[in-house]
Amino acid sequence: MIKRTVTVRNRAGLHTRPSSLLVKAASRFKADFFIEKDGFEINGKSIIGVMTLAAEPGATLNLMFEGEDATEAANEICSMFEDGFGEEAMMTKVVASKPLTSI
Amino acid sequence: MEESDTSGKVEQIFQGIGISPGFAIAPAYLFSRTKPLSLRKHLNPEEIPTEQTRLDEALERAKYELKKVASVAEEKIGSESAHIFEAQVQILEDPVFINAVNAFILNEACNAEYAVQVTLEHHISQMEASGNAYLRERAQEFQDVKDRVLRSLQQKRLISKIQQHRVVVAQNLSAADLVLFSKRQVLGCVMDIGGTTSHASIMARALGVPALISVGWQAERVIEEDDWVIVDGFSGILVINPSSETMREYRVKQAQYSKLLEQQSELKDLPAETLDGHRVHLRANIEFSAELPQLVEYRAEGIGLLRTEMTYLAQGRALTEEEQLTFYKEVLEATAPFVATFRLIDLGGDKVLPLGKHEPNPFLGWRGVRILLDRQSLLRSQIRAILRASVYGPTRLMIPMVTNIGEVRAIKRMIARTKIELAVEGKAFDSKMQVGIMVEVPSVALMADLFAEEVDFFSIGTNDLTQYVLAVDRGNDLVANRFDEMHPAVLQLIAHTIQAAHRKGIFVGMCGEFAANPLATPFLLGMGLDAFSVSPVFIPQIKRIIRSLTYQEAKEITERVLIQQDARSVRKVVSEWFGQNQDILASLMKI
Repeated sequence: MIKRTVTVRNRAGLHTRPSSLLVKAASRFKADFFIEKDGFEINGKSIIGVMTLAAEPGATLNLMFEGEDATEAANEICSMFEDGFGEEAMMTKVVASKPLTSI
Repeated sequence: MEESDTSGKVEQIFQGIGISPGFAIAPAYLFSRTKPLSLRKHLNPEEIPTEQTRLDEALERAKYELKKVASVAEEKIGSESAHIFEAQVQILEDPVFINAVNAFILNEACNAEYAVQVTLEHHISQMEASGNAYLRERAQEFQDVKDRVLRSLQQKRLISKIQQHRVVVAQNLSAADLVLFSKRQVLGCVMDIGGTTSHASIMARALGVPALISVGWQAERVIEEDDWVIVDGFSGILVINPSSETMREYRVKQAQYSKLLEQQSELKDLPAETLDGHRVHLRANIEFSAELPQLVEYRAEGIGLLRTEMTYLAQGRALTEEEQLTFYKEVLEATAPFVATFRLIDLGGDKVLPLGKHEPNPFLGWRGVRILLDRQSLLRSQIRAILRASVYGPTRLMIPMVTNIGEVRAIKRMIARTKIELAVEGKAFDSKMQVGIMVEVPSVALMADLFAEEVDFFSIGTNDLTQYVLAVDRGNDLVANRFDEMHPAVLQLIAHTIQAAHRKGIFVGMCGEFAANPLATPFLLGMGLDAFSVSPVFIPQIKRIIRSLTYQEAKEITERVLIQQDARSVRKVVSEWFGQNQDILASLMKI
């Protein structure tokens, strides 16, 4: 089994689009893929599971891969996390200090 | 179905509000969003494999439908929104979900509907109870998926199966339903005001589907399936089971209107100028990027009003500076070489915020620039985004709901500070970006000379101006009929505002609904209005009227209008002019 630890880098967190990309990529591999966050483990090939993780920017996730192509799967999935799913990375500066929903 | 089927039923007429022009005459289709049944049924062991096959088939069918919706959405709205549907397809393919439902059917010996219901409801209630706002929003997507699978299991008719050439009657239309409208199966649309988002009316106008919304009566209650109905998208009149006489009358109108559309399309590439060469600008009111293609289709000379709050409301949160920049850039690139006017987010009033506090009189409350000045971070990120976008095309920034000169000066100071900040950060912007205000509160109209010295342009907002001048809340059924922009007091204030602007040499447009009312075109033109900003679909009719008279003639009509004693006599003056000119549109609008 291969274990990796990643951080959610894209600013909006693991919302619909990245979840969808993640599941799509994971499903291409034969290896089983699980994600653990705060002691809660889900199947990484399940969009429902990934979405209900509600991983916010900065969240740390433990990834587990098991199966014949586990190495390839781990490399590809980790690089997706690294480049923030092609989305804008977290900014150091907070632009809108109060989101509208809190008004 | 034969039209004679209507005989025996009594003709009924309801007054609503027209939201998309044109006439539709067709049988009604009641698009009810009532939930499909998901009651538990007990199965015998030998029935279980069949039930599991039924589930597989239903999932496949639902997936096929969703993919179809996704591809139409992508074509019509762009890949951004199509993503939602793609995620819904993935839910249907989710191995964990499919296994759970199958196991449930087997272990509980129950029907697929019940198993789907329980499995998804479990996730939905978890999400709804979550403290995470994002998850709570996603619950709606799961709900949609659940309904789709249940309907698929029961093979209920979906909107995609609407029989051709119907008037759709609905309480509420979702994004998915709307994109399927583009299939042109729908001739007209009747919606209830409660469920009508501006999305729905924009889409109806974009697709050229005549539509109206009900006021004080529920469309789904008064209309029965297959009843013949007439939708008059101009006057907002709905006729149910029309008599043959009414039917004939509307067939004539329909024919006249299509003739009119033909005439107007011939004017497409001609300028909006009077017979004696007085030129004005016809611009578009826009809310979403999906509407941008209409700028070219209707030859809009720029955007006179971009309602930036609509994206905020649609997303339920403030967009980040970068998200705003991306959207504004897209808008400017689609609008160039013409100008795009970004109105700072205009919340409050009927665009309700989750304030947590009930305002007894929201229209006299915390709205427009008042909110912005109290929420500096919101304001600042938007000003930054607009300034940064200004390098992509001619940009104007507009301040909503101004009452006092101090508000204008405060915003201008903020803009000046932001420019310095951006310069320090090395970010590009147009240093000469124009700043203007909405003239929609009587105090500003009365003191227009002073305000004109502070800003580069005015844009008159007639809905608010009228309700404040006449003290009538248009959303209040008891007094709504007293709301009338044709009231001479409103017209005198508009004329005064235009004169003040011109005395100071600034540009003045109008972006309220009144600008799209063809009956007002002659005298607004005569008052000297520089630009009419309207939903793109209304541009051709305004242009046609402008091109049919001289500026001198328009001024004469204006003079007569401004000395009238009430709205009724104003209408009389206007209708006399239209009568002499035997205008088709005027006769369609029944003045």
